[in-house]
Amino acid sequence: MAEELRLHFKKAGFFTSIQDFGRFGQQDIGIPISGAMDKESMQMANYLVGNSDDTPVIEITLLGPEIEIEGNGQIAFAGAQFAGKLNKSPLPLFETIEVKTGDTIKLKGTSAGCRIFLAAGGKTTEPAWLGSHSAPSDYVKHTGMVSHFSDGDTLTFHPHKPIEKRIIDEAKRPIYTSCTILRVVTGPDFEQFELEVIQEFFEKTFSISSDSNRMGYRLNETLAQYKAKGEEISSGVIPGTVQITGSGKPIILTADAQTTGGYPRITNVVTEDLDLVGQMKPGDELRFMLVSLEDIN
Amino acid sequence: MMKLQPYGDSALLVSFEKRIDPAISQQVIALHKALKDHAGITFSIPAYQSLTLGFNSTYLNYNGLEKLVKATFDQLDEITTNSGRKVTIPVCYDDTYAPDMSEVTGLTGCSKQEIVQLHTSHEYHVYMLGFVAGFAYMGTLPEALKSPRKETPRLKVHQGAVGLAGLQTGIYPAEAPGGWQIIGTTPMKMFDPEKEKPNFLEAGDKVKFRAISEDEYKIIQLKIETEIFEPEISNG
Repeated sequence: MAEELRLHFKKAGFFTSIQDFGRFGQQDIGIPISGAMDKESMQMANYLVGNSDDTPVIEITLLGPEIEIEGNGQIAFAGAQFAGKLNKSPLPLFETIEVKTGDTIKLKGTSAGCRIFLAAGGKTTEPAWLGSHSAPSDYVKHTGMVSHFSDGDTLTFHPHKPIEKRIIDEAKRPIYTSCTILRVVTGPDFEQFELEVIQEFFEKTFSISSDSNRMGYRLNETLAQYKAKGEEISSGVIPGTVQITGSGKPIILTADAQTTGGYPRITNVVTEDLDLVGQMKPGDELRFMLVSLEDIN
Repeated sequence: MMKLQPYGDSALLVSFEKRIDPAISQQVIALHKALKDHAGITFSIPAYQSLTLGFNSTYLNYNGLEKLVKATFDQLDEITTNSGRKVTIPVCYDDTYAPDMSEVTGLTGCSKQEIVQLHTSHEYHVYMLGFVAGFAYMGTLPEALKSPRKETPRLKVHQGAVGLAGLQTGIYPAEAPGGWQIIGTTPMKMFDPEKEKPNFLEAGDKVKFRAISEDEYKIIQLKIETEIFEPEISNG
């Protein structure tokens, strides 16, 4: 029998789910793309255990889980600055960790960033659905897959041959601040906004609402000059789309965003900066900086 | 008149005239079907008068995709643009299956019989799927059935609920929050994650509703559970 590494989630944490690069090509039937909210950190975690970039990982949000290990294997954490314990010692981040039966991992809160990614060397035994292991959002209602872990859930891996320990250089680790500048390009409905609204959009410092999740980040501040022009005809929306709601509050759509929406789309966050969005937490501040498509290519 | 514009750094938005019109929608859907599986296209979202195309920059860049869309559009002919399946969906309009029927009779001034007669006598075009996986936006309702959304949306609308909103009709594929006026329920599954193609309806389908009794509802439900139910589909 092949060896197995089991992660028992004694406590699941605030919102812990399986994610990969996402489920593409199903958006025409209303299935969101999903996938890791910070793909760079996801890839780092995979690198640290010798997995390919697109191997499914565990995405941990704000308040971490308590995990008990059964079996032998290698795991690694990369992403936000979570404090935690591996048995009685501080939990090392950004390096390969050898684990064995009986080890316990307790993740607490994060001092910078919002999400950390846990990779285990090998493959999960969980089934994929429509080409992806990413947890379907609540609106997809897939009975066979959970949108996030509950206390007592177990995740099983078939470990591959252990690799030599890897560490990500301190200098190469991501740094998260509580005020981020996000690069955006003009959105499909940019032209229909009044100049004053556009100015306000780029001059204002926004803060992240506590009502934010994997579908979208709501911003607390209102564009005072904005007047909604009645109902729009619904059109496609994608992760990174910044919509302005009827009340003038922007929403940045993220991984689990619905596939269509009716609010005008003022800008789009550039793909590279979406990883930064995934690391912002409620209360963090941001400003938008307009760039051209030529600038980012 | 087709307009192409960049949509973020890895998608392109194709849009047509800003109105809800089956003829425009047919063009969107024909373009979607022709491009959906093209190399380098990561996803394609048809909506009323727009198509959002995602691309992988390793295989395709914006300019290349723009050329591809224009060339594909020029090659679309009348036949492919107008092809679509014809589907009949059984609906039970009895009171226990239609929590908003009395509100809709009040809003429209139509009797229950008239509402059922009107809803089942028209053929509807599926404009797009969205909101919840498998939720089909269909239209256009006869003007007499036009109903505003509920002032306070329900936190839970049941699976299979058939609703009205404005001049549109739709079916909830799963339990979800929503503000549509529910005038009936279908025993059919609009979304089955176990299937390779989980959605029953797709953009471009032509849909008719057929009124069924509670008994027939239960028989169909049983047939679905035992996997012997044959939906009424023909290729138009």
